[in-house]
Amino acid sequence: MSTTLIVLIVIALILVLIYNSLVAKKNQVENIFASVDTVLKKRYDLIPNLVASVGKYMEHEKSLLAEVTKLRADASRPNINEAQKIALDAKVSSALGSIMVAVESYPELKANETMMHLQRSLNEVEEQISAARRAYNQAVTDYNNAIEMIPTSIMASIINYKRKDVFIVIESQRENVSVKELFN
Amino acid sequence: MKNISELTDYYYKELFPLLQKLETDRTNLKHRVIVVGVIIGAIAIIIASILKSHFEIVIFAYIGIMTILYKSMTKDYTAEFKQGVIKPLIGEIGEKLIYSQDGYLSELIFERSTLFNKADKFSGNDLVRGEVDGVNIEFSDIHAQEKRKNSKGGSELITIFKGLFIVSEFNKNFIGKTVVLPDSAQGTFGNIIGNWLQSKNASRDELVKMDSVEFEKEFVVYSSDQIEARYILSHSLMEKFLQLKNRSQRRVSISFVGSKIYIAISYDKDLFEPVVFSSLLDHKTAMEYVKTLHLAIGVVKELKLNEKIWSKK
Repeated sequence: MSTTLIVLIVIALILVLIYNSLVAKKNQVENIFASVDTVLKKRYDLIPNLVASVGKYMEHEKSLLAEVTKLRADASRPNINEAQKIALDAKVSSALGSIMVAVESYPELKANETMMHLQRSLNEVEEQISAARRAYNQAVTDYNNAIEMIPTSIMASIINYKRKDVFIVIESQRENVSVKELFN
Repeated sequence: MKNISELTDYYYKELFPLLQKLETDRTNLKHRVIVVGVIIGAIAIIIASILKSHFEIVIFAYIGIMTILYKSMTKDYTAEFKQGVIKPLIGEIGEKLIYSQDGYLSELIFERSTLFNKADKFSGNDLVRGEVDGVNIEFSDIHAQEKRKNSKGGSELITIFKGLFIVSEFNKNFIGKTVVLPDSAQGTFGNIIGNWLQSKNASRDELVKMDSVEFEKEFVVYSSDQIEARYILSHSLMEKFLQLKNRSQRRVSISFVGSKIYIAISYDKDLFEPVVFSSLLDHKTAMEYVKTLHLAIGVVKELKLNEKIWSKK
C-alpha cells in the first residue's frame, strides 16, 4: 500500500511542477508583452510631435504622414489583441522608416534643433522596442517549446494553452544605420 | 587613433635610440641575474648537503630569495623602460591619457563591477586614465586574490582575477545590472543541461538567453532586467564582444553597472613589464606591448562608445 501511495504522491508532484512551469512561462510572456506595449506607446507618443515638425517642410509626403497618424489612432483603440498589436508595430516601423528617409531630402529640416532631438528620442525608442521584441520572442519561444515538447505538451493540451506568435524582426531593423547616418 | 602597424613603426623608429640603450642595460642585467642565481644556487646546494634533509624548505627559500633579488635588481631598468617606452606609446595612441607606473584601479571599481568575488588582497600597476574621443576611460593591470581554506586547515591566497581591467562610460542609459561571463557550463554539459545549470546560479540575477547562436556559445548573460539586457546588448555589440574575445584569445568578462561598462580580460602574467631574457627589439615582444595597449585603448572605438546617437549625451 505504502509503495502505491508514494508513487501516486510522486506523480502528483511531477504534474504540479509541470503545470506550474507552464503557467510561469505563460506569465513571463504576458509580463514581457506588457513592457513591449509600454515602449510601443512611447513611440506612438512621439508621432504627433514628429508629424507636426515634419509637416511644415514636407509637401510631397503628406500621404505618408497621414498614414502614420492613422496607424497611431488604430493602435490606441482599446480592444486590440496581441497579434494585432504585433502587426501594427510592423507597419508603423516601416512607415517611420520611410519618413526618416524622406527627411534626407530636406537639408533645412535635417539641421533643425527640434528634429535632431526628435531623432535622438526616436532612435532610443527604436532600440528599446527592438530589445523588448527580442525579449518577447525569447519568452514566446520558451513557451512554445514547452507547449510542443513532451511531457509538458500533454499538460498544455489539457489546459488548452495555444502557440503564440513572435515578432518578425526584419533584417534591415537589426542595424539602425539609416537613422544614424542622418547626423553625418 | 593610430593603428597597430603605425604604432609598430613608432616603436622601431622613434623609440629606437632608447631601445638600443635599454638593450645594453638588459644584457648586462641578464648576466648579473644569472651570476647571482648561480651563486645563491651554489650556496643553497651547500646548505642542503650539510642539512641532508628539508630539501623542500631550501628550494622554497631559494625561490623566495631569488624573486626578491630579481625584483630589486630589475627595478631601475623597469622604471626606465616604462617611462621611456610604455608612456610614449600610450601618448602616441591617445593624447589625453595620463600614465602612472605604480597606480592602479581602486578596489571599489573592481567591486562595483560585480564580476568577481570580493578580494582579500588587491594589487596592480600601470594605470592609464583619461579621455579617448570624448569618452572617459581608465584601465590598469590588476591582481585580485581571495583567501581560502586549504585541505591542511591553513589558508592560502587564490587568484580570482589577473589581467587587464578596463572601465569606461557607456553610451546608453540603463538602470539595472547586466553581467556577461565566459560560458563554461554550456560548453561542457551541452545546451539543455548547461542552460539549466546556468539558470540555477544563485549568486547572479536572472539568466538572459540571447538570440545570437555564436554569442550564446561563448558567453552567458545575467541581468536584473530581461529587456534592458537586450537594449544594452544589441546584435552589433554582441558581435563586437565576440571579436574582442577572438582577437585577444583570452577569457573576457563584461558588466554594465551604474552607467559604466567594465571589461576584465584575463592574462596569466604581469602586463607591460620589460623582458630580461629576450630582446626588446624582438618583433614578438614589441608586438605584445603594442597590441595590448591598442586593445585596451581601442575599446572605445571598437565598441563605438563614442557614438552618442541616443538621448544620453
